Amino acid sequence: MMSVNRFILSKSAQIRQLLCTVKHAGKHVVLQRNIRTHSRNLAYAKDLFLGQVNKDEVFPYPEVSLEEVEEINQLVAPVERFFSEEVDSAKIDRDAKIPAETLNGLKELGLFGVMVPEEYGGLGLTNTVYARLAEITSLDGSIAVTLAAHQAIGLKGILIAGTEAQKQKYLPRLASGEHIAAFCLTEPGSGSDAASIQTRAVLSEDGTHYLISGSKIWISNGDMADVMTVFARTEVEVDGVKKDKITAFIMERAFGGVTSGKPEDKLGIRGSNTCEVSYDSVPVPVENVIGEVGGGFKVAMNILNSGRFSMGSSSAGMIKKLIELTSEYAATRKQFNKNLSEFGMIQEKFALMAMNAFVMESMAYLTAGMMDRPGLPDCSLEAAMVKVFSSEGGWICTSEALQVLGGLGYTKNYPYERYLRDCRILPIFEGTNEILRMYIALTGMQYAGKILTGKIKEMKKGNIGVVFSMVGRKLKAAMGGSVDLGLTGKDGVVHPSLAESAKMMEQNVSLFGSTVESLLYRYGKTLVNEQLVLKRVADVLIHLYAMTAVLSRTSRSISIGLRNHDHEVLLANTFCTEAFFKNNYWMTQLEKHSPENNDANIKKIAKEVLDNRGYVCSHPLERTF
Amino acid sequence: MKCARCLLQLQGLRLQGLRLQGLQLQGLQLQGLQGQSARSAAQHGALLQSSSQPHMLRNTQHQVIRRFHRSPINDKNQPIPAEFIDEDDNKKDKSLVIHDDLFEQVARETKTKATFNKVMEVFIKQDVRRRGHVEFIYAALQKMPEFGVERDLAVYNKLLDVFPKEVFVPRNFIQIMFNHYPRQQECGVQLLEQMEGYGIMPNVDTKVLLIQIFGVKGHPVRKYQRILYWFPKFKHTNPYPIPKNLPEDPVDLARFSLARIADDRDAKVTVYQLPCTDITESGEEITLPHVVGIQSPSQMELLAQHNPNRPVFVEGPFPLWLRDKCVYYYVLRADPVPPEEKVEEPYDPERSLAYPLQLDLDLDRDLGDEESFDVEDLDEGAVFAMCMTSQGDQAVLNQWVSGLQQNNPILGWVPTLFRLEQGPRELQGAHKTKSDHQHRPDPQTQREEEEDEVSVEEEPRRSQEMKQ
Repeated sequence: MMSVNRFILSKSAQIRQLLCTVKHAGKHVVLQRNIRTHSRNLAYAKDLFLGQVNKDEVFPYPEVSLEEVEEINQLVAPVERFFSEEVDSAKIDRDAKIPAETLNGLKELGLFGVMVPEEYGGLGLTNTVYARLAEITSLDGSIAVTLAAHQAIGLKGILIAGTEAQKQKYLPRLASGEHIAAFCLTEPGSGSDAASIQTRAVLSEDGTHYLISGSKIWISNGDMADVMTVFARTEVEVDGVKKDKITAFIMERAFGGVTSGKPEDKLGIRGSNTCEVSYDSVPVPVENVIGEVGGGFKVAMNILNSGRFSMGSSSAGMIKKLIELTSEYAATRKQFNKNLSEFGMIQEKFALMAMNAFVMESMAYLTAGMMDRPGLPDCSLEAAMVKVFSSEGGWICTSEALQVLGGLGYTKNYPYERYLRDCRILPIFEGTNEILRMYIALTGMQYAGKILTGKIKEMKKGNIGVVFSMVGRKLKAAMGGSVDLGLTGKDGVVHPSLAESAKMMEQNVSLFGSTVESLLYRYGKTLVNEQLVLKRVADVLIHLYAMTAVLSRTSRSISIGLRNHDHEVLLANTFCTEAFFKNNYWMTQLEKHSPENNDANIKKIAKEVLDNRGYVCSHPLERTF
Repeated sequence: MKCARCLLQLQGLRLQGLRLQGLQLQGLQLQGLQGQSARSAAQHGALLQSSSQPHMLRNTQHQVIRRFHRSPINDKNQPIPAEFIDEDDNKKDKSLVIHDDLFEQVARETKTKATFNKVMEVFIKQDVRRRGHVEFIYAALQKMPEFGVERDLAVYNKLLDVFPKEVFVPRNFIQIMFNHYPRQQECGVQLLEQMEGYGIMPNVDTKVLLIQIFGVKGHPVRKYQRILYWFPKFKHTNPYPIPKNLPEDPVDLARFSLARIADDRDAKVTVYQLPCTDITESGEEITLPHVVGIQSPSQMELLAQHNPNRPVFVEGPFPLWLRDKCVYYYVLRADPVPPEEKVEEPYDPERSLAYPLQLDLDLDRDLGDEESFDVEDLDEGAVFAMCMTSQGDQAVLNQWVSGLQQNNPILGWVPTLFRLEQGPRELQGAHKTKSDHQHRPDPQTQREEEEDEVSVEEEPRRSQEMKQ
């Protein structure tokens, strides 16, 4: 064991050295890029709401430099080996604990500081490489969550909003894994509602530190974290009025007064530690405030919005692994003298898994690539879409993989049930999918609304010109006039073998634009309360983004002649056709009023059930006479 | 249906006429005859009178044997008005119709199901031909509530069994076409109608009996079918069913009724005072009324947000009917908040960590999608709590309000006005106890004050008294 560790240690040190040189080369490239991309406004998903495809944003598919590819390969190999040889996921799941030696192995691989810059002792890798590593770490859900809680949210606050002194003080030890970080926001009374945060920070009389009291629940790594990002309510004076505002603090367990409760017994990701953490007048020095006093809300938003994109590659990594495992079984298991793989319904499952993995991958790396661009691109919308799509796809795919094995998959002898359980957390944490859908739809609607308000007002006033142009466009669309947003054709960016899919997407985008317009016309600012409408808007947008990612990636693959790109074309075309129909269905529903698209009924059913607080119908065996 | 009603009225008239005759007869009867059946009495009476009042004899005999064909006009000839009989009759006299009397005889002391059944058995055994069975059934139907069997299906079936079987079944199409044995059919329908009135669902036995008696196409069978069609449909139309037997205990009844009014599963019923009777040192008997209240968490929230400068009102009594019982309740409410006082919670952009809670747009909902219009949507004052008590005077209700104050401290500084009507106090005989609880509630509130923090408790009382 020791020797292995030493080997890995030396190996990772080597990698770090190597990376340093690579980085310097990379910086040069970055500078060049910076000049070129200066005028970009970075709003691909938002522009979709206006019925526009901002193709410069997403075409061509983001590439990493050759050096980076080498770097990735060097980094990935030992991690992969470690996960296949050293990690016993079944044991972690059974004992509900990650063994110390496994954690040490992870630390030595540098996985606790993947995105921490080198000057603070981390690997200083890009989002893209981070996503690549997430693909492997996701093979064990518990480890993935532990790592994510540490670096995707736990230390992110210091990384993006901390002062130089804070970074110097905390990041090196966090990056090495000597200290583990946790993100403490959720409280018993609050999920996403910042107003119900009760933990309070009071400035001490001498003004040197804050005393923090309160308790937080569902804190990943809560038991073992040495450094925590804690959000607490502080009194701030705004324009002479005293107000309660949220402030972010860096809290060390060593400050005293921190107690953690019993670890939660969870369905999945059992090896990760989740518990309640209570603070009893913990003294936190004033210099440990992250950002400004009272500016914690923004810090929290930024941390949460930036941490989500990697879920796409994680899910993809997991599904790819599951495909390997189940295809082995399907190819060998015989029924009626036929292999399972010859049955159409089994084949369908594999196609579904492959397609989902492909789409997730495409979305995740497209988003990671966008985030890696210079400046501070706001990709929160894209990241949220990746999260929603991949978490739901992941759940369906693990379930289908388990189904291939039938009863065997249901037993603990196989890892499928564990994957299924682990996977179930994805739609829940880092913002539930419901909340993210609201975020996706409302952010876009706000953006589109700002631009379209004038036009809609004109229309409401009965401005003939605007109305005619609108009617004309609708007529043209109804007559089957093709939409050309420039993806194909002379200056096209999509490869001709995907032209049909690109056309479908263009058609969807254009229809989406007019749907958004009519929704704004119909609901205005009360759209916030139309959750069923917003859900469909979000779903359409997610699928549009997925289509984009798939088209972009596949076009690139064909163009540079990647191995098996014909399979990619197949997947891309299949997915786009499917998404096209789904989008059309949702948008048709969006055109209708609530009594026609069943929304009114759905609400009514739910109301009756909820008023009754239970199932309403009488039992079918009951009788009245 | 209308026909049936007319016949029923006729029937009523006829019965009245009979009673009148009976009374006259009895005046002539000997004391010793009283114990015998009215039927024989009537005959005796008739015989006795035969010489002096021949037309009377004819009348009576006629009536006893075949009552149905007797013209109601004859009744009108009787000179004694109905009210007169009601006034000076005792029960015995009232029941001179033969079968009523049979009931009275058999069940002199106890009127139970057993005795009722016994009467029916007696009648069935009396005469193989079941002579006068229609009259008997009508009489029995009338007597059923008295015996407490008006909701007993078995008794109805047994009563149907009194009809002779197969006699009234039509044998050819002409008989079917015309009203075959109308009196009997009418009587059968009447029986089913009484069942319907009491909400009794007939069963298969009823059906078998009816078919045996009237055939498959008779009016009673049709009636049975109609009942069976409608009853199940209406069985669960009331989403808030009331149990057949309401709780006897006033506190339990209050609990039930309050929960029914509130229609909120989170609402909590509190018994502020259990009813009890005490005897003071001076030997005076004091009855403490029960005070039961209900309040839901959302009502508490509303009350907490109430503007303390505006008064709250204790209003009542309002009636609530539970089957044939009427109870009264009181509410604590406020006037609707005037529009200028309505403050919308300011939008805090830093409220939601997940998504914007408001769209910052200058666009309103289009008229085509405006679904909020609702005629029922009136701006009313909030009701903060409800209570029930047996004595709805101010002192008792004050006790309720101070009880509420424990969970709603705002009541301490909100002026409370009592707007009570006289209503049910008359019914409940509160006049008698009025003098009692003029001084009674004082020790009560004082005791409460000692238990609680005095500073909090004193204020409301002052404000309440001030307003009083």
